[in-house]
Amino acid sequence: MAMKPEEILRLIHAQRGSAICVPTMTTAPAWRTIAPDDLSVTCVGFMGGASSLGLGLALARPDRRVLVLDGDGSLLMQLGSLATVAGAAPRNLVHFLFKNGVYHTSGAQGIPGGLTVDFVAMAKGAGYRMARAIHDIEDFKRRLPELLKAEGPVFVELHTGLAEQTPMTAGGGVPFPQQVTDLRAKLLKPRARS
Amino acid sequence: MPESIPATLIIDTLKDTFREARAAVAAEVSDPPRHSHLGWILSVPDTHQKSVLAALDKEEQIRVVTCATEDEATTIAAGLHIGGEPCVLMIQHAGLYASVNTLRGVAIDGQIPLFYMIGLLSREKDKAPRESRHSMVRYCEPLLDTFGVPHARLEGPDDVHLIPEYYRLSRARKGPAAVLVGLETI
Repeated sequence: MAMKPEEILRLIHAQRGSAICVPTMTTAPAWRTIAPDDLSVTCVGFMGGASSLGLGLALARPDRRVLVLDGDGSLLMQLGSLATVAGAAPRNLVHFLFKNGVYHTSGAQGIPGGLTVDFVAMAKGAGYRMARAIHDIEDFKRRLPELLKAEGPVFVELHTGLAEQTPMTAGGGVPFPQQVTDLRAKLLKPRARS
Repeated sequence: MPESIPATLIIDTLKDTFREARAAVAAEVSDPPRHSHLGWILSVPDTHQKSVLAALDKEEQIRVVTCATEDEATTIAAGLHIGGEPCVLMIQHAGLYASVNTLRGVAIDGQIPLFYMIGLLSREKDKAPRESRHSMVRYCEPLLDTFGVPHARLEGPDDVHLIPEYYRLSRARKGPAAVLVGLETI
């Protein structure tokens, strides 16, 4: 049975420690409910950019883990980012791909190739240090601690069903510019003005 | 008439720009990133600036990330900015056209300061870019105007002061700013 995205996100949140998280599209509404006030920035308004946004954060802050919560339709929009991430080789980046085979947000139209697209092979071919698929929630629970500690870049293809909400059914949330300001302040700690 | 700019002059100017940017961040925050390098170049290789890119290969104080697309370069720059790192995007006019949605979504709507150096490949030495017979040269400044991106042209060695000026401008306006590299660097 396909895994529930919300259950996966709750497990990641419980074990992420001080990691920075970059959700996008259908992982975004659930993530802001599960982790409402923390070290996250949502890729919104530039579909396909989650892996690159995560890469920039990982390069800037090698002292922290960065977890990208990507979608299959999103990744296809900037598939070359797999090679760019692998080339930059951030040891602190874990790239989770929520694979459901459709563009859920726009009405669940099938992505090119549907569920047959092998993102694990692509990530391995691009040069990620580790890439694997997980189909079962019990397997995910077992492997998650290792995945969060492994030397990156790590790629994890998660076979999921559809999320309960999408950005279209659960709009709102903190606007992207405010998320940027908030996360930057949490990471850099601005001095108080006298 | 415009002149080509030596790569060493551009790299020295970039180093000064990064030093100033790091000092500005360090003055504002109590937990700035601590790296041994000065800053980052995000590049989708540009024929027009290839002498700079070649010289950067030997530079230890500037890190270069070669990106597959300008969309990626723009979004990686956003992540570096959030993390407190100074960076410059080096792309070509065609790459600007390819990445306008990311320019809009990340730099403009996202209010993220991003500084671009954009090569005007095929620009004729005796013509203003808007009069070029090549559409890829001709459309660059009007496109930046359409998106409200302030820009200036590097037309020779005396213009490199525009690099730190427009870098600062991107920070001051919390959005994109660009300099256009008029002739191929040497």
